[in-house]
Amino acid sequence: MSRVSTAELSKYLLTGSITRRGCLHARFSTATTSRGFATDARLQPTTPTTPTAPAVPFRKQLKDQNKALKTSGNKKKKNVDNQTVPGWELTVGIEIHAQLNTRHKLFSPAATSFQDSPNRHVALFDLAVPGSQPLFQSETLIPAVRAALALGCDIRAVSRFDRKHYFHWDQPSGYQITQYYHPFARDGRVSLYPRDGIAPADGDRVDIEIERVQLEQDTAKTTAMAGSVHWLDFNRVGVPLIEIITKPQIHHPATAAALVRKVQMLLAAVDACVSGMEAGGLRADVNVSVRRAGDAVSPGSPLGTRTEIKNLSSFKAVEDAIIAERDRQIAILEAGGIVEGETRGWSLGSTETRRLRGKEGEVDYRYMPDPDLGPLVIADDLVTRLADSMGVLPDQEIDDLISSYGLSTKDAMSLLTLDDGARVQYFYNVLNALEERLDLANDASPTSDQRHAQLAANWCLHELGKLTELSSDLGMTPDGECRVPSVDLAAILAHLHRREITAKVAKELLWGVFRCEIPSGGVTQAIESNGLWFHELSEDEYADLADRVIQGEDKVLSEFLRFKQGKTKAYPQGKLMFLVGKMMRAGVEQRMDPSSAEKIMRARLESVYLPALEAS
Amino acid sequence: MSARARPRGLHLRHVCPPNGHQRRHLNHFISRADASLTSAEATPVSNDPSSTFTLAVKDNIATASFPTTCASPFLIDYRSPYEATIVSQLRARGARLVGTTNMDEFGMGSHSTHSVFGPVAQDPEGDAPIPADTSSLLSAGGSSGGSAVAVAKGEADVALGTDTGGSVRLPAAYCAVVGFKPSYGMISRFGVVPYANSLDTVGFLAREVSRIRDLIVGGGTRPGLWAEHDPQDPTSLSSAARTRCAGGREGYKFDTAWGKKRPADLLRGLRVGIPLEYNIEELDPAIRDSWARVAALLQSSFGVRAVPVSLPTTRHALAAYYVIAPAEASSNLAKYDGIRYGARATSNTTAAAAAEDGSAAAPASDAAEGGVLYAASRAAGFGAEVKRRILLGGYTLSAAAMDNYFLQAQRVRRLVRRDFDRVFALANPLHDGDADPESEPPSFDLSDLDERVPMADKRGPEEEVDFLLCPTAPTPPPTLREVLAKEKNPVEAYMNDVFTVPASLAGLPAVSVPVSVQPGGAGEAGRPGAAGLQLIGQYWDDARLLGVAEALVEVLRDEGMGR
Repeated sequence: MSRVSTAELSKYLLTGSITRRGCLHARFSTATTSRGFATDARLQPTTPTTPTAPAVPFRKQLKDQNKALKTSGNKKKKNVDNQTVPGWELTVGIEIHAQLNTRHKLFSPAATSFQDSPNRHVALFDLAVPGSQPLFQSETLIPAVRAALALGCDIRAVSRFDRKHYFHWDQPSGYQITQYYHPFARDGRVSLYPRDGIAPADGDRVDIEIERVQLEQDTAKTTAMAGSVHWLDFNRVGVPLIEIITKPQIHHPATAAALVRKVQMLLAAVDACVSGMEAGGLRADVNVSVRRAGDAVSPGSPLGTRTEIKNLSSFKAVEDAIIAERDRQIAILEAGGIVEGETRGWSLGSTETRRLRGKEGEVDYRYMPDPDLGPLVIADDLVTRLADSMGVLPDQEIDDLISSYGLSTKDAMSLLTLDDGARVQYFYNVLNALEERLDLANDASPTSDQRHAQLAANWCLHELGKLTELSSDLGMTPDGECRVPSVDLAAILAHLHRREITAKVAKELLWGVFRCEIPSGGVTQAIESNGLWFHELSEDEYADLADRVIQGEDKVLSEFLRFKQGKTKAYPQGKLMFLVGKMMRAGVEQRMDPSSAEKIMRARLESVYLPALEAS
Repeated sequence: MSARARPRGLHLRHVCPPNGHQRRHLNHFISRADASLTSAEATPVSNDPSSTFTLAVKDNIATASFPTTCASPFLIDYRSPYEATIVSQLRARGARLVGTTNMDEFGMGSHSTHSVFGPVAQDPEGDAPIPADTSSLLSAGGSSGGSAVAVAKGEADVALGTDTGGSVRLPAAYCAVVGFKPSYGMISRFGVVPYANSLDTVGFLAREVSRIRDLIVGGGTRPGLWAEHDPQDPTSLSSAARTRCAGGREGYKFDTAWGKKRPADLLRGLRVGIPLEYNIEELDPAIRDSWARVAALLQSSFGVRAVPVSLPTTRHALAAYYVIAPAEASSNLAKYDGIRYGARATSNTTAAAAAEDGSAAAPASDAAEGGVLYAASRAAGFGAEVKRRILLGGYTLSAAAMDNYFLQAQRVRRLVRRDFDRVFALANPLHDGDADPESEPPSFDLSDLDERVPMADKRGPEEEVDFLLCPTAPTPPPTLREVLAKEKNPVEAYMNDVFTVPASLAGLPAVSVPVSVQPGGAGEAGRPGAAGLQLIGQYWDDARLLGVAEALVEVLRDEGMGR
């Protein structure tokens, strides 16, 4: 379970609905605090009496947010361009924490787990038992290096571990082991395109540099109970994270959100990440500063004082928090004030960031190289091997889907993001089976005709999507199979493509397969036994029908005449479809294809009726 | 840390009462096995009765049999859920645990006085009874003072200590026993409560070098500890590295010709370096005299060449040590918060009460930051010396001081190691990368060298040496009263480590053997104090070091200069 689909996310973010599968459901039903990561000791209040944002279920927050917007009468603000403020330049840098997809913790052989009973997977070192020592689990390097490669980073041959000191009950040793002085990866780059959702002002493409990627430990999970009681689950302590730090090169809020989304997508694509942002597997801190646009002209002029907003847990929160913080800073500066370097927080649904602490409250982390841990040496052969076996990255795959199969950008992105990336695999399975049936497998020039591919994509996305509109689940597996076996969908599509069945029959067959009414491999048999083959009317029979329904429709006919005479600009398509509809009802529907009916109706109008009408 | 400051509600099950007034013994054990019981824990794993020996374990090394208190109020009732690798290794070699020994809290101290169980004292001279007030007795040295006394009194054949900056060698010198600090990375630290990980080593104390040599080098069918890698300790050298390091060394094969040499033959032809920088002003004249007499004896009667050598960074080593060790300590001791184990101070302290009052108004994060639980627990759970070193370390690691202290100290540490590498004939197998033998030999800055060092050519001194010979401690053991009187000036106490710290910084093996101090010399009040002479070897030259130490002890005994 490594990816949350964008479709799911939008449903979730915009309407607050959550599909009831997997970890999403389980996560949000528990009243846990939000500290996913050890970024800071003091973010989390000690007493549960202080409302902390994520202690409230996420869905409820979204509801409250909507309510707040309604009462303030600002609901229709969507069209306002909130990406730029004239006269000001915004600069944003982002730090993203992601849980790595590994079986063991970073420095102990204890298993990583997310659903198990609390405190089941804890080694001596995880609890900082005196005399225990860290044992680096080298398998952690597989997802970590893959993630860094997906982000275009340079993998350092030698990196080191440092201790970052602060006291918090969720940090048993009193320090977090991280890579402060020598991170294992540096100098990466993420390219963002309009399809990733960047601000229009960023044009066709914007490259954001990744300054560093470092390995570090997660903290224990705190659950606030009634009274001033906290429960600690040490299953999570020591789970490996990577922290990804961008350079301050982002200048628009939407682009910041797009970057986080893109990083999540890249991490999921290389199977480096456990879960997406909303499942708590990814978390972002943003550094925000503004300066007058005039200052930005001269290179090397300093950025404005920055503030940091911690623990943002959704893409929308990233964008909204940046907008709010930018506007706050601009308001201060315009009033002649000074922006203070401080740490701020953000609650979903609010309209402004809140101060957590100022500079004077900064912790001195007293970074120290960990004396128990030697340098981490990553050999070239490992990097080469992981780079070679990494597969195609999402951008490349989207480009391939568009150019090879003629899909739209939107459809390509949907295929890639649905079902944690399994949907596109399903699409390939269907396409292969379909091409085999259509005997296109050996066709040397697939580009000549991509209609079958578009058909397959259309059904894999939209028709398949309709199946699950009523609560049930496709049961998509990572290797791209689901309750509608790819071979059966391919069988349906092959018949449809050859016009051996109608689209309506095809949809019914799909439901039949989905509901297990048609056994796998039994599509053709089902068509046969139910007499669903499409024996289309002959052209003459269509023409007869057309003639029959046109009778008494003189008023409609006159519309066509007016178009022909140039009196109206638009072809009366609606009227045509009205006539086709009449035709479909008049005839035997199972034997008719609306497109054939339309074609012949149009031909009859042009060749017979309009000339007759003109003549009269 | 006075006994009163101990968290309430804890019941001692230890042999030494924390109340000094009731003490009428040397206070060297914290927990002790009941001799009348033959419990499973006291039974050695080995079936060969001839190979069994009694073992005392410093109380910062985890045992399955006893609490592991580190002599700290924090861990006064703490029982480790597992046993240290070294204890298991020794059990497998026939060790029978007799108890855990008293020490300076977490190993921080030079006299074993900073203990929640009270100070350790040495046996009075002759057959004098132990007085109720032990302050007139001699310091056992620290921090492994309990282990040294247990060995000196014959209550254990071998005692384990930990040596971070001299904590095994110094008490060995004070108590006139043998104390050995192995090469860093040879003995597993898994289960050893860390003080400063990059310096900590498990050390061995015994009355005879041979006991220790048997364990380290092995003999007959028993494998030596030197060969055993522990996968639980990331700083334990891998088996491959052990073999590689031992490849260029003599003495690891116990039954070879080298191992069977007579002491005099072992010494013949050795080149022993006399580090001139160790002849400091604070060095007790009687000890200086012993040092000189032994060097002269070796040179005149045993064909040893005593070579003056220079270790120019010595004078900075102690300062570097007292930056690095507290820095690591402050980090290591951050885990003691009373949350998961150890003593937790309850909220009826004033600090907690004040914080509770304020919590309604103050942001909740302040409560976490103020660390009600932490502050109270850590205030009550640590002794004064530990707190002092935590503060020192916290400061030297702070962003403002890091560059001037911690990083400088690390540079000094490199120079200390380079000093040793330059004087030893053997190469340091861990650093062959940065000193390519084909390239320019390491050059000396002549202005750094002591002027008495003879020069071979303009490049540097004439001779490389096999071992260094120097005193273990600059003075004979003071009385506990003297120690307590000087407590106001901790820097003076830190001075005791001046000769032991350099080998710790460089990770080198070193052994302290007892030597007599000429009565009537300028020793303190003419007291016939014990002293230790220290032999320092190149990295992983432990086997030969122990062989030569054994020979040295023997010839000193023959010459009437031993103890």
